[in-house]
Amino acid sequence: MPVTKVLTEGIGEVDLRSIEVYRKRGGYEQWKRALSSLKPEEVMEYADKSGLRGRGGAGFPTGKKWSFLPKNGKPRYLVCNSDEAEPGTFKDRMLIENVPHLVLEGMLLGAYGIGSHHAFIYIRGEFKDGYQVFARALDEARAAGFVGKNILSSGYDLEVTVHRGAGAYICGEETALLNSLEGKRGEPRLKPPFPAVEGLYGMPTVVNNVETLAYLVPVLARGWEWFAGAGTERSKGFKIVSVSGHVQRPGNYEVPLGTPVRELLDLAGGLRPGRTLKAIQPGGGSSACIFEEQLDLPYDYESLAKAGTMLGSGAVVVFDDTTDFVKAAYNLVRFFSHESCGQCTPCREGGHWLERVLERFVDGRGLRGDLDMMHRVSATITGINLCPLGDSIEPFLKSVLNRFPEQFEARIA
Amino acid sequence: MNERQEQFPALLERLRPECEKIIAQYENPRSALLPIMQLFQEHEGFVSSEAMRAASEMLGVTPAVVESTVSFYTLLYRRPVGKYTVQVCRGLACTINGAEDVMRAFHEKLGVGHLETTPDGLVSYEEVECLAACDRATCAQVNLEFVYDLEPKRVDGMVTAMRTGAYAVAPRAQTEAPGRTWSLPRLGEVARGGRSAGAIGTESPDNAGGVGDEPGIIMLDRIVERGPSFYGATRERAVQEARDVVAVIEEEEGEGARAGH
Repeated sequence: MPVTKVLTEGIGEVDLRSIEVYRKRGGYEQWKRALSSLKPEEVMEYADKSGLRGRGGAGFPTGKKWSFLPKNGKPRYLVCNSDEAEPGTFKDRMLIENVPHLVLEGMLLGAYGIGSHHAFIYIRGEFKDGYQVFARALDEARAAGFVGKNILSSGYDLEVTVHRGAGAYICGEETALLNSLEGKRGEPRLKPPFPAVEGLYGMPTVVNNVETLAYLVPVLARGWEWFAGAGTERSKGFKIVSVSGHVQRPGNYEVPLGTPVRELLDLAGGLRPGRTLKAIQPGGGSSACIFEEQLDLPYDYESLAKAGTMLGSGAVVVFDDTTDFVKAAYNLVRFFSHESCGQCTPCREGGHWLERVLERFVDGRGLRGDLDMMHRVSATITGINLCPLGDSIEPFLKSVLNRFPEQFEARIA
Repeated sequence: MNERQEQFPALLERLRPECEKIIAQYENPRSALLPIMQLFQEHEGFVSSEAMRAASEMLGVTPAVVESTVSFYTLLYRRPVGKYTVQVCRGLACTINGAEDVMRAFHEKLGVGHLETTPDGLVSYEEVECLAACDRATCAQVNLEFVYDLEPKRVDGMVTAMRTGAYAVAPRAQTEAPGRTWSLPRLGEVARGGRSAGAIGTESPDNAGGVGDEPGIIMLDRIVERGPSFYGATRERAVQEARDVVAVIEEEEGEGARAGH
């Protein structure tokens, strides 16, 4: 099964960081077309009818997200979320480092579609290369007249600002990102109001993921029917899946949604010789595991949700029989505990407790009753926080506690 | 006043035009806070108190607001760090592909552990969360430049290159000698007892009776179940946490003074 090339087209073959190369391959044609012959509502229609869902983790329909913007004449903002930090995910970094102009064109189209005159991209602080590549691309695009005042004599003004994060996973959550962009601590906000109503500087704001915005370019170029024709009924189009862990060829694979998990595993070269599969985490650090008997599951939003897990950011981490699941659980719980912003007691205290308990399991000093306690604590902290970080602790932990109880019981002193 | 502090007014005047350019990019000046702090860190090697005060004046916010914001972000250093920051990924994909062996190699070669700087002030070593390069595990960053497919056998050569000035990535600015660690205990993250003061000295959230009256999770259960009558209990713990933070800072400063920092 060959991998699809839409956003990944040309990566590794030509230098798409150069505006000349990008334009030779049709780059900025959709932006020119939008400015000269499409109304913003028509761009919005493309986003809506394509069925494109958010590729950052929540999977919210893009057109619907845009439609929540109130028509109150206030300035609107588009923010591109490039704070990719979900454990196992490495697709947005690949996009900004290799096809920055595609990402930028997607941002321009998105901003135009919602009627914004100032777009921001929030790039994770660790992505120094990505930041430099994107900033250079923006300079080139500005010099070519694609960004700024009265773009291509259309009368439309659109400024783009590149903003660097400074090290905080939680800033990938959209309201934390907005606080961070406003120069505040990256703490999530109480919702409602949602960003569409009160976002950046209290104005209507859309926050979209890098991959989501980039897909707008091919959607406009090839039509929403083309995009909606791929994938499944409710998970339309394509997705870049980051496959890593115990596979022979880890990497980003772009596929139509609905591709069986087994094929993703094959694309990544399968397991190492002589190894057997133990578990797969299909949607980043926040998702519950699936197992060998579920390999025929279609990789799409609803099938994974029905199986009790999620597609999330599209990070597939594969575990073979060499995996110590006690250590793996400790690793992810420590991650969430470390990244908790500390605002909500359940997440701050619960995450910390689970980390401490799992730490003693790693050392072989688990106590009787700890397994039940971990179930109870992780369930208690779910669903009662301002943002989904606290809720992200339970799925992986619970799935491996249930599947590999013997690994945990063996560490009880 | 040390040399860096003496030179700060000149640095501020030199960077002011760039700061103004950054501020002009945003509808609200405060948005320029992180970029301005990043700019000063580039020049001073860390976010100095002088830089925070300058930012507070430029942006019209109090120094406390600046410090509170800066302290939230792990890539902003409130104290001097080494000329090279080595950050090894401890994400799950790296961990199941040998990251711990790489970490051990760094510990041995550098003689320091997580969140520590070598006594010569050259390398600050840290184990960090997923760096988004899971296809190239084990990955790391040196001064935020990626190192891919890292194996223990490469560690020796990397560190030697840093020591001899031959490493491929430019060193960071260093205007003050770093101490043992650059990491300040965050409020609620007490170095000795972990994050929750209520958890000190108790093994299970089901056993009341740590330093705080109510270990965190029990309190959490009761808050959820019984509502506002239990909120008051958090005050008690907050007081204890603040005391512990002060104790740790005093202890560290005492050690720093003895070590001549």
